[in-house]
Amino acid sequence: MNRDWLKKNTFHCSAFGDLKRLVELKSQKELTISLCLPTLNEEKTIGKELVILKSELMTRYPLLDEIVVVDSGSTDDTRSIARAFGADVYKADDILPHLEPYKGKGENLWKALYITKGDIIVYLDADIKNIHHRFVYGLVGPLLIYDHIKYVKAFYDRPIAIGRNKIRPTGGGRVTELVIRPLFSLFFPDLTQILQPLSGEYAGFRDVFEQIPFPIGYGIETSMILDIYHKWGLDVIAQVDLEKRIHRNQDTKALGKMAFAILKTFFSRTVNLGLINFNTPLHDTMIQYNLVKSEIQPDLLTIEGLERPPIIEIPEYRQRFKRKAS
Amino acid sequence: MEELLNRMPEFENKIKSLMETIITNIVLLGQIPAPTFKEKSRVSAFLERLAEFRVDECTTDGYRNPIGIIRGTNPNRPPIFVVAHMDTPFGHDVDHNFTIKENAIYGAGLLDNSVGVGVLASLPAIFRHLGLEFESDIVLAGVIQSIGKGNLRGIRHLLKTWSTPIRGAVCIEGGELGRLNYYSDGMIRGEIKCSINRSGRRQRFQPNAILVLNEVINQILELRLPLKPRSKIIIGKIFGGLKHGQIAHEATLGFEIHSDSDEMVKSLYNEINDIVNGLGHEYEVRLELKTISNVRASRLRFNHPLVKSTIAIMRKLGLKPISEPSESELSIFLSRKIPAVTLGVSYGESYQQKSSVIKIEPMFRGIAQIIGVIAAIDSGVCDE
Repeated sequence: MNRDWLKKNTFHCSAFGDLKRLVELKSQKELTISLCLPTLNEEKTIGKELVILKSELMTRYPLLDEIVVVDSGSTDDTRSIARAFGADVYKADDILPHLEPYKGKGENLWKALYITKGDIIVYLDADIKNIHHRFVYGLVGPLLIYDHIKYVKAFYDRPIAIGRNKIRPTGGGRVTELVIRPLFSLFFPDLTQILQPLSGEYAGFRDVFEQIPFPIGYGIETSMILDIYHKWGLDVIAQVDLEKRIHRNQDTKALGKMAFAILKTFFSRTVNLGLINFNTPLHDTMIQYNLVKSEIQPDLLTIEGLERPPIIEIPEYRQRFKRKAS
Repeated sequence: MEELLNRMPEFENKIKSLMETIITNIVLLGQIPAPTFKEKSRVSAFLERLAEFRVDECTTDGYRNPIGIIRGTNPNRPPIFVVAHMDTPFGHDVDHNFTIKENAIYGAGLLDNSVGVGVLASLPAIFRHLGLEFESDIVLAGVIQSIGKGNLRGIRHLLKTWSTPIRGAVCIEGGELGRLNYYSDGMIRGEIKCSINRSGRRQRFQPNAILVLNEVINQILELRLPLKPRSKIIIGKIFGGLKHGQIAHEATLGFEIHSDSDEMVKSLYNEINDIVNGLGHEYEVRLELKTISNVRASRLRFNHPLVKSTIAIMRKLGLKPISEPSESELSIFLSRKIPAVTLGVSYGESYQQKSSVIKIEPMFRGIAQIIGVIAAIDSGVCDE
């Protein structure tokens, strides 16, 4: 196992707090940076994220060139609030409308590649309660400073909001510790050095993102790491401590569904890489149970494990970004 | 003054273009809990923000009040103070994460006084954006230990130790837009605590601390309050007991005495002290009266040029000034003969609740009036 990586490629966001320097580097390297926020019913947090990031990273320091919200069809005021605070807002279904529409975070991130213009894309979840501009500059910093780094992943000290007024000092990352870390330990020990592989905040070069497939749903973070690791190696990846992130807590059942999607993505990747072989195909349905009036009833959710291909394979994308077919 | 008044609508519009920066300051500072006596984290963040906005000097005074000084063009002019209290009524156990919607910000402590602190931190950027330079130094002071048991210690210390004369001051409060405070009542904030010693008494004959305080309240209500000097006693807070079915052994009553005469405040306080001593003796309980805070009555005249100019500025912005006494930082400025007013930033709801709300759009008018009053002081309206 390459243990050097943890030392060499792990940073703290405070190392990149000199925004003037980052803006100069961006200008010297003639790069543009896009921020994408995938949303689904995030009216409580989207306004705050936009206001703070726009103020600090567009108005005061022109680090970001655009902020784009890609929405999965929110039924609350997410889109109108985002528009009111100056974001470019898209419904995912309206992007590349001739393709069959899917619902999921991965779908939004993939389609964001088509509508954003930046050489660097920053992806942030839109449910961060304690948003601070370090969430962006911390991720962008290593990409601007170190030429060999192409993809940066966040990790946190993660308190979780429970109830309306209480904050628990530790916790979170249950799927990471119970699902991903054991799998990485079994198959890809190098990747265990990525402390929070499921964190929803990461940034990377368009050149990287456009060449990897995007699972539609929860598997996106896992697949991204596996694909980048497989294609370019561990050294192009870095991780940054963004300190605290306060977000919604999810119940165990929801995490179960998440774990199902992640396991499916993981196994499909390991099969493709020839690491394991299954004699029977994997099922598509997550089966959980509810107790309804003394009766145990199954609760079925089909997760097909759909993926979008590398976007560079889409002709409209190649035309728009003047890319050649690979 | 006429020239300044004519610029007010332009100020309001230009300030609007800094909306993101102003809201960001409100959120980044307001989301740091700052209960009275525990303002340290917010103080550090406030100073960092001032430094980021290239304020000439950022420091704390001997009492750890954070201060930013924007140097003026004329070193002979005394400084103008702009202050907002840093503390809020809520502790670390309360969720301080704000929500921003299209027209409003929601969160604990916003109106009292995270909005004031955020606006104070935004002033350097606003001055720069409006192209304003002042003859006087502008001292941006976030004062600590202000509310409740803080007893305005921060501002008292700051003014006591400030070595040079002060030209005038503006105190910023989150709400309510339209307020114009230029006088303070004399005030004593007190607490009466009833404690019953459980040992040596049989349970059934024990007095009940809540009922003892109830008798205290009855006797306070029997006090005759004069219309002149204008006086009132506010019973604002009460708590006590442990269980529904158990006699309360402890109970506390919080009250304030207000009057435009300091002598009347003292006289009423003495009467309450007599009530407390008498009932403590009669019920054989420990009944203690403690002073939490006090300020002296002080005021500017209605025709003071600062008051007149402020009214003109507010009217130019379409605001109707509403004046009531305010026992706050204002009292300490006025008691030191420093002309000062308190102004509100915007309209809101649930003023001192966890769910307080402040409207975004009116905020720009609120900030414009603050800038206008600072400019008026700099033009000499307090230099009589």
